[in-house]
Amino acid sequence: MDEILNGYVLQVVVFSCINIILALSVYMTLCTGQMSLGNAGFMSVGAYTSAILTMQAGLPMPAAIVLGGIMAAVVALIVGIPTTRLRGMYLAIATLGFGEVVRVLALNLKITNGALGLSGIPSMANTLGDLASDLLDVLDIDTQTGGQLLMCLVLLIVVVAILWFWRRLERSRIGRAFAAVKADEHAAELSGIPIVYYKMMSFLFSAFFAGVAGALFAHTANFISPTDFSWHKVVNALLYCVFGGSNVMWGSPLGAVILTVLPELLRDLAEYRDMLYGIMLVALMAFRPDGILSYDVLKRMTRKRPAHAVPERAAKEGDR
Amino acid sequence: MFFQQLINGLNLGSAYAVIAIGYTLVFGVLNIINMAHGEIFMFGAFIGLMLVTAAGANIFVALIGAMLGGAVLGFLLEYLALRPLRRRKVTHLAPLISTIGVSIFLESLALKIWGPQTQSFPPQFEGALMDAGLFKVSMIQIVGFCTAIVLMVLLTLLLDKTKIGKAVKATSENIETAGLLGINTSRIITFTVMLASSLGAAAGVLVGLSFNAIEPTMGMTMSFKGLAVLIMGGLGNIRGAMMGGFILGIAEVFSVAYGASSYRDAVAFGIIILILFFRPEGLFSKAGKGGRP
Repeated sequence: MDEILNGYVLQVVVFSCINIILALSVYMTLCTGQMSLGNAGFMSVGAYTSAILTMQAGLPMPAAIVLGGIMAAVVALIVGIPTTRLRGMYLAIATLGFGEVVRVLALNLKITNGALGLSGIPSMANTLGDLASDLLDVLDIDTQTGGQLLMCLVLLIVVVAILWFWRRLERSRIGRAFAAVKADEHAAELSGIPIVYYKMMSFLFSAFFAGVAGALFAHTANFISPTDFSWHKVVNALLYCVFGGSNVMWGSPLGAVILTVLPELLRDLAEYRDMLYGIMLVALMAFRPDGILSYDVLKRMTRKRPAHAVPERAAKEGDR
Repeated sequence: MFFQQLINGLNLGSAYAVIAIGYTLVFGVLNIINMAHGEIFMFGAFIGLMLVTAAGANIFVALIGAMLGGAVLGFLLEYLALRPLRRRKVTHLAPLISTIGVSIFLESLALKIWGPQTQSFPPQFEGALMDAGLFKVSMIQIVGFCTAIVLMVLLTLLLDKTKIGKAVKATSENIETAGLLGINTSRIITFTVMLASSLGAAAGVLVGLSFNAIEPTMGMTMSFKGLAVLIMGGLGNIRGAMMGGFILGIAEVFSVAYGASSYRDAVAFGIIILILFFRPEGLFSKAGKGGRP
């Protein structure tokens, strides 16, 4: 039990959860066939907002985390309004620039403490440990491990909640509109779907959740600086999503978990990690642009479930 | 003061223009954004630096060496990262992702080879400072500016007068028609990516000379500036990219001189947002072309 619950393993779980949310935020814009390269910027906005609100305004942590996400979404409007009405790569370029600008601002503003970053951000583990100290005493776990354990649990619940939310959304009217916009913008527009509205919506969702991921990062690492939200973060998030499978929701969590755990096991290769990531992106695009989990793979996997006691042919008919 | 800033702005702008032309050329023939361009620019700067410090070459030899190196990198980029995607049907985002992979690979390779510290050209390349009354200009600024102008003139001549240049223009206008008219479009694409990359590498040497700071992470900042110019000039518009480069250079220098010095990188972003808001087809394009549906 102790071996599983040591701080290191819990840390990896925490990072996996945050990376899953980040990868999902990349996936959300891909849902409408756009690409956002500003996820690190939105993460940074969320992280600094939440950190400053808890440290200087004394806001409770959950409220600050949500406000961090909302702040990121509000800032996303600046980039989104001019770009979502255009076709093509404009969103990618503008968000790329946005990420750079946020980094420069964070380096130069007084409230973000420049290149030194913010330290002493209220820790989620400590807060949870204090809250549940009675329960932890009964279970005979010390407050620190208990706090970390609870933090993992909270993060897992958040991840599951986001996945559940997006799954529900994908099966709603909105999700079908997203899919239509992704498949063919012209056809979607001709079918009466307001494409700008839906492109904007998916982009704002993406920014919101990137902001939440950033806020969670701030309260789990307890220290943030502009270098935490560099271009590399964007490339990593993009790779999580593309590697796992960029066409299905389950691809992002899969990719994020594999690519967070694997580097921990292959410590020797750490200095070549970015090089390998670069090669992986190129190779994935050349040989398997859909990633591990493509739409077909997922369909085959769900088919095999015994609950579907329908004959193969009937099931196919039903799909039509 | 004003003229001094104008000179500095023109000098910076000439480098931006050369970078942006690289994006524009590739966008023209392939309709993609080459995210690895900034890293090829950075490699060009380092190759030039190596030729000067390790081989003792003079600055023009270094420039040509960097351009050759850039062309080789461009060939590899096209052959390994772009060509496989053209063979199969992929989304329009695939080349973007693929070139992002190349860019992160090149950046970490440069970190591995040259280390993270900032390097600079030896001081004798600084040259004398000439006083022209209204402004001062250094020898290296003149060399850099003139080289950029010469490169742009040569490129214009290449595209307008030679057979291969006309083929590039035809391919960027319509790739299928160009193919039907007997142009080997695959070869033209390779040629264009190599040409764009060698221009990017040349810009790397020019920027390395005039700012005396070469580091592996410089590619990212520059690629964003180049993309800002690309949008300003209009996608695929070479003359627009030349003009846009000068506009961005001058705007940045003046915002530093008369405003907040640490926010010069925000100028390019502000320009992107304003342009996309009011004139998404770019400043120098005829209406009807560009991003508006």
